[in-house]
Amino acid sequence: MLSILNKYRAVFLVGLQSNLVYRMNFAVRGFFAFFHLIVVFILWSAAYTGNREIGGFDFGQTFTYFVALIVVQFMIGAFNEDYQISEEIRNGLINQFLLKPVNYFAYRFSIYASARLVTGLLILIPVIVTYPLLKDYLTVPADWWRLALGLPALLMSAVIQFGIAYCFGLMSFWFLEIQGLVVLSMALESLLGGQIFPLDLLPAWLFRVSQFLPYYYQMYFPVAIFTGRLSDPSAIMVGLGIQAGWMLIILAIGQFLWQRGLRLHTAVGG
Amino acid sequence: MFRGDFFVWALVELFWMTVNILMVSVIYEHTKSVAGWSKYEMMLLVGTSLLIQRFLMGFFWSSIFEMGRNIRSGNFDFYLAQPGNVMFMATTRKLDPDSLVNSLVALSVVIYSAHQLNLQPSFLAIGCYALLVVAGIVIHYSMLVLCISFAFWFTSAQGIEGSYFTLSEFSRLPRQAFKGLANIVFVWALPVVIVSNAPAQILLHGFKPSLLAWVLGIATGWFALTVFVFNRGLRRYSSASS
Repeated sequence: MLSILNKYRAVFLVGLQSNLVYRMNFAVRGFFAFFHLIVVFILWSAAYTGNREIGGFDFGQTFTYFVALIVVQFMIGAFNEDYQISEEIRNGLINQFLLKPVNYFAYRFSIYASARLVTGLLILIPVIVTYPLLKDYLTVPADWWRLALGLPALLMSAVIQFGIAYCFGLMSFWFLEIQGLVVLSMALESLLGGQIFPLDLLPAWLFRVSQFLPYYYQMYFPVAIFTGRLSDPSAIMVGLGIQAGWMLIILAIGQFLWQRGLRLHTAVGG
Repeated sequence: MFRGDFFVWALVELFWMTVNILMVSVIYEHTKSVAGWSKYEMMLLVGTSLLIQRFLMGFFWSSIFEMGRNIRSGNFDFYLAQPGNVMFMATTRKLDPDSLVNSLVALSVVIYSAHQLNLQPSFLAIGCYALLVVAGIVIHYSMLVLCISFAFWFTSAQGIEGSYFTLSEFSRLPRQAFKGLANIVFVWALPVVIVSNAPAQILLHGFKPSLLAWVLGIATGWFALTVFVFNRGLRRYSSASS
């Protein structure tokens, strides 16, 4: 048992190192995230002019939501995992895992976890640096129960994020080109995951529908718990249940695709 | 052969445009005006911004993007050997039909919004609108080629894609929303906001010579700067051998 854990610990450590090497990449992405935040600030402060609140939340609460969104994105977002998996399938690198006692899902998940640990910690630097500028606009609710419910939600969101990327990556067993599909699903995620606007601003019935889709639990759910957009603990408990359900479904789909895909897969050359 | 690919990418762009339109609808569910712009005025602005972007993507994007890679790999030699202006040849090699199809969608968003606002633009205003859209494409084109030209010096122009899309987010905001430092940077220094705001404003509020002159001036200036930097870079290009 311990030796199995050691195996993936090694993968995790290698992942950490390779992520620290590509610091520049991170810096570029962080920089754009900051610009995006400027757009958000300008747009929403214009929308709030003359309105004390929108959808029951004031400007500070909405802005806090978008800041938290960026931080959480760097902590759990699956950025190019699907692409990496697709590449490994297409150029045959995946064959080495078929011959070794390594579980591909666990291997990939270890790399994902190490990558998010690095970016998740690094994103705190610009947040801390700009905090004096931001602090007048941030309103973070300080209820301890938000942490107790938000952290499990965050963890499950991470698994869902990775799981969806994993499934898309495995599509490469069937299709040569998955880039188009990936971007399409990204657009869907950013809309239904609440990255374009907080989902609670949708008309009530649409908001209700979105709560039954996996995207809601990918990003919006934990962020809304932490930033006070969701405030009813019992409703959040129900949400956690649905989230756990989606997590299991997505993991099962991933496992199914992996088994089916391998049957199609042919390893050529040496 | 690539019909499926065409279809998926056309769908991707269509979906992204829908996302932008949806955002406007959702915000206006909760407020009457943003920086003095009503819902359909804002739609018209977003549609204009998308229209310019679609044209840019359709005519130049793939070629410009490839140019960066070619400079690094040495494949850029190919364009030097062609009998024609190098910058023109290198940036107009490929067409993206999916973007061009979607430019029709963007155009219909503009027409629909104008219809909802009961606008009766004069021929002069429509002509100016078209001219400003072309000027907008020239400005975007110049900024992109300028950024990619840095590959002549640094051999890597990574992240340009992201920077372009981030900047284009600004072009969907009304100019009146920019205040203080943001006004100086995004309205005056970088022409990202005015590119879409100027044509929309002319369609909404009629012809205004000073605005037209301003945008045409910016377009000329940025284009000239780009040609200059590109040619300077070209002199440094030393190909690559392997």
